[in-house]
Amino acid sequence: MSHNQDKSSAYAQGVLIFVYLTVLTALEYFVAITFSAVSILVLIAVIKAALVMYYYMHIYKLNEDSADDIHSYAYKTGTNRLGLWLFLLSDAFVFAGLLTTRINLLGLTRPHLNQLLGVAVTAVLLISSFFMNRGETAMAHGDKKGFITNALITFVLGLGFLLGVVAVEWPAAAAEGLTASSGTAGAVFYMMTGMHAFHVFTGLIFLLVIINNARKDIYSEEKHWGVEAVTVYWHFVDLVWIFFYPALYLIGKLL
Amino acid sequence: MKSVSPAIRGWLSFAIGAVIAYLVGMGLVFLASGSWTYLHLVPVLFATFGSVTAYSWGASGYSPITKGFVWLDLGSLIGFALGLGIDLLVQGTLDWVAPTASLFALLFGFTAFFLGVAGFNAASKGLIWQIIGTLLAAIFVSVIRAAMGLTWSGPFLFSEPAWVLGGFMGVLFFLGGSGAVDDWFKWARGIDTPEHHEEHYSGWEKYLHISYDHKVIGIQYTVTALFLISVGGLFALIFRTELAASQLQFLTLDMKLFGQNGPQLYNSFMSLHGMIMIVSILLGMAGITNFVVPLLLGAQDMAFPRLNSFAFWISVPASVLLLMSLVLGGFDTGWTGYPPLSARAPVGMQMFFLGVFTAGWSSILGALNNIVTVVRMRSKGMTAFRMPIFVWAAIATSIIALTATQFIGLAFQMVMFQRLFGMGFFDPAKGGNPVLFQHLFWFYSHPAVYVFILPGLGVISELLPVFARKPLFGYRWIAMSSLAIALVGFLVWAHHMFASGMNEYLRVPFMYSTLLVAIPTGVKFFSWVATLWKGKIWAPTPMLFVLGGIVVFLLGGLTGPPNATVSTDLHLTDTYFIVGHFHDTIFGGFVFPFFAAIYYWFPKATGRRMNETLGKIHFWLMTPAFFVLTFGMMRIGLLGMRRRIVDYDPALNFDYTHLVMTVGGFLIAISVLIFIYNFFNSIKNGEKAEGNIWNSRSPEWQVPSPMPTHNYDQLFEVVGEPYDYGLPGGSKYVEFIAPAKSKHP
Repeated sequence: MSHNQDKSSAYAQGVLIFVYLTVLTALEYFVAITFSAVSILVLIAVIKAALVMYYYMHIYKLNEDSADDIHSYAYKTGTNRLGLWLFLLSDAFVFAGLLTTRINLLGLTRPHLNQLLGVAVTAVLLISSFFMNRGETAMAHGDKKGFITNALITFVLGLGFLLGVVAVEWPAAAAEGLTASSGTAGAVFYMMTGMHAFHVFTGLIFLLVIINNARKDIYSEEKHWGVEAVTVYWHFVDLVWIFFYPALYLIGKLL
Repeated sequence: MKSVSPAIRGWLSFAIGAVIAYLVGMGLVFLASGSWTYLHLVPVLFATFGSVTAYSWGASGYSPITKGFVWLDLGSLIGFALGLGIDLLVQGTLDWVAPTASLFALLFGFTAFFLGVAGFNAASKGLIWQIIGTLLAAIFVSVIRAAMGLTWSGPFLFSEPAWVLGGFMGVLFFLGGSGAVDDWFKWARGIDTPEHHEEHYSGWEKYLHISYDHKVIGIQYTVTALFLISVGGLFALIFRTELAASQLQFLTLDMKLFGQNGPQLYNSFMSLHGMIMIVSILLGMAGITNFVVPLLLGAQDMAFPRLNSFAFWISVPASVLLLMSLVLGGFDTGWTGYPPLSARAPVGMQMFFLGVFTAGWSSILGALNNIVTVVRMRSKGMTAFRMPIFVWAAIATSIIALTATQFIGLAFQMVMFQRLFGMGFFDPAKGGNPVLFQHLFWFYSHPAVYVFILPGLGVISELLPVFARKPLFGYRWIAMSSLAIALVGFLVWAHHMFASGMNEYLRVPFMYSTLLVAIPTGVKFFSWVATLWKGKIWAPTPMLFVLGGIVVFLLGGLTGPPNATVSTDLHLTDTYFIVGHFHDTIFGGFVFPFFAAIYYWFPKATGRRMNETLGKIHFWLMTPAFFVLTFGMMRIGLLGMRRRIVDYDPALNFDYTHLVMTVGGFLIAISVLIFIYNFFNSIKNGEKAEGNIWNSRSPEWQVPSPMPTHNYDQLFEVVGEPYDYGLPGGSKYVEFIAPAKSKHP
């Protein structure tokens, strides 16, 4: 698909999707503070996830016919793509298990957390996804400089998210009495954010790897599977947060 | 002595070595405890190692393998002495049964074996680095704890957090040290590597090094699985010996080993028997799948050769962790690790969790590779319903292993964190819910039983037409039934929890979903019987095991519905009937087909076949012995024998049945020993078998054995049905069309 589009319309599509996601996130927040309907929050999260999976993660590429020659780069990329998506499917079960735990232990209640901080880190991660998409689009059109700039912005934002959760949100929550050993709410909160933060952390390492390799001029317009893989992984981390954010901050009554 | 055959010399040395080592062990027990005990675990373990070393020496002289065993013995003793010294320094008293000493003996012994066999190789380097990583991380945590004013030492030398981080870092160090991740790090630095490396090592040495060849990896998996089966079986023999009579005679209260007394050891052995056997099943089936699937598809290798090698090598530190759990205090929860008991068992529990978590990654990544290989690497013309039936089974298995495995990993992680950080997931005092653990656990562990049996059932379906000389009956139904079992398997987990205190309204739906599994399984049985019907049945060893597998699995299937039905299960739950039931399903679904597959594909790997007479002795010894064992289990189970307990009331009159079962267990062990002897002996001395000895239509048998590194020299196209045996006209399944281009891309 990226090859069928010219660069500017691909960029424009990225912006449009980002606007959709922003509006939906704002709507989510509004629904939560006004009438707190869980079903609507779930619906919004599913729509956001579908947008990210289709337009940012390009799930439709799984269905693309690749070259006939089994030894060609294009065919191998198709194989790698399937492998990556299966890995994400497997990984999704970890997060599904965590959501199950949250629902079982906390039900329709939620811990007391700093709402402003929650919105802030969510926004940072969402914006980072936008720049990641821009970076991949740049690479797909042979713009290596554009890729490096956007990937660096993504890295900085991702680091901001990670520090926002681990270095700001965690101590703040602990100061309010929500510690890992204080009860199930604390346990669930630290386990969910911790597991997600671990994925962000690995994503940051992968980002450094592709930025470094792009500086060595390893990737080209046709051959940049490494960039595609890290992009999809990064959006996946964002995708998880699309569900974790409402699950931790928005759903249910305050404990 | 030259005129005596090596085998006789070997077995003579075996006997002498066993006796001498037993006596030495008894002497040591006398030194340590001051009493002569004939029935004691230490001499038994000594005799095991001593006899194996002596056998190897007698049969092959001071060969590399003998050297390995000698180094193993010496390494264990040196490790033991070192651990004893450290323990003396830290605790201030000389404790002969200090866990530290046993731990060092275990780790050093293992490492020394691989060092002795072939010097520095992936296995020995990995293990050395695992020891270093474990100790470094443990010391690191201990220093920090000491600096924070916390206690740094515990009954197992280090504190629990130190052991957990140590165990985890040990795995990472193993992977780094063994070289399993070298290429990925090169890629990360922007250095390209060839898709396949030149093979640097020939003969058996290549199995100790990193190899990307799926056939080598398949054999690595299989041999590791055989090793673990032997270890798990040894554990079973130990606790079965104790159960042979009521009261405690062997694992007594006053004996001590690994810091545990007899009944505690019973619990640890019983728990580890379960999990080690499960891991060995996962590895064994991964071995068969890895070896066979690319050959059946006509692919040069798996889709991701590095991932394949990684998935194998990560299972090695996982196995070491599982064994470490035995010496670090063991644990008493059974393989299920339910909290709250698992939240307060000794440190061994944590090693068990880590080991299973690590082995889980092996399973997940292997499954991923498998699915991608089948989707992307099939030969021309191999449409979905012209794939060999084993491939369907492998796919169904992989779907479960890829996804559900994460749940057991997560559940175990949560208990680990509960113990380490006081996170109250399953602690009712903090609002947690122990039943949640059971849901998470069984969401994997029930589908997992289909991971164990589906490849085995696939082997049965694959081999049956070859030996019945008839088309496989209802190919499409069989293919679909594998998928159906896998998918329905996701919906039945709570049938393990009828007595757990979960909501009662959940019982009936889970009862019905469970009974539903009988339908696709029944489809398979119907197909097998219809395939055999009026076939020209020919029964060499692989076919014997296929038929044995069908009968035993039928028994396992028929004893299932009473456990699935709530009313009867409430009576049967946690009795030996359950033990009998699942041993039937696992023997029928895994053990028999696994042996069948090894006897069948052995010539493909080595160019020689296994000894037919020994194979038949193996079968005719194992099968009746197994029936004795399992009928005994079910009999006393129905009469009220609880599972997982070290002793029982003599007034129950179970003594006689238990004794017979123990004898059956030992007979199975002897038959497996014969198999292992046959396996290793045939690699060198087996009858040459380079052609299509089973007269199979399958592509891998159309070319000479053993297979070269990149499999087929010529590509093939599928032109017919896979199982049209014995039909007039003589159609073909595959036709070789063109030389494979770019063999070394």
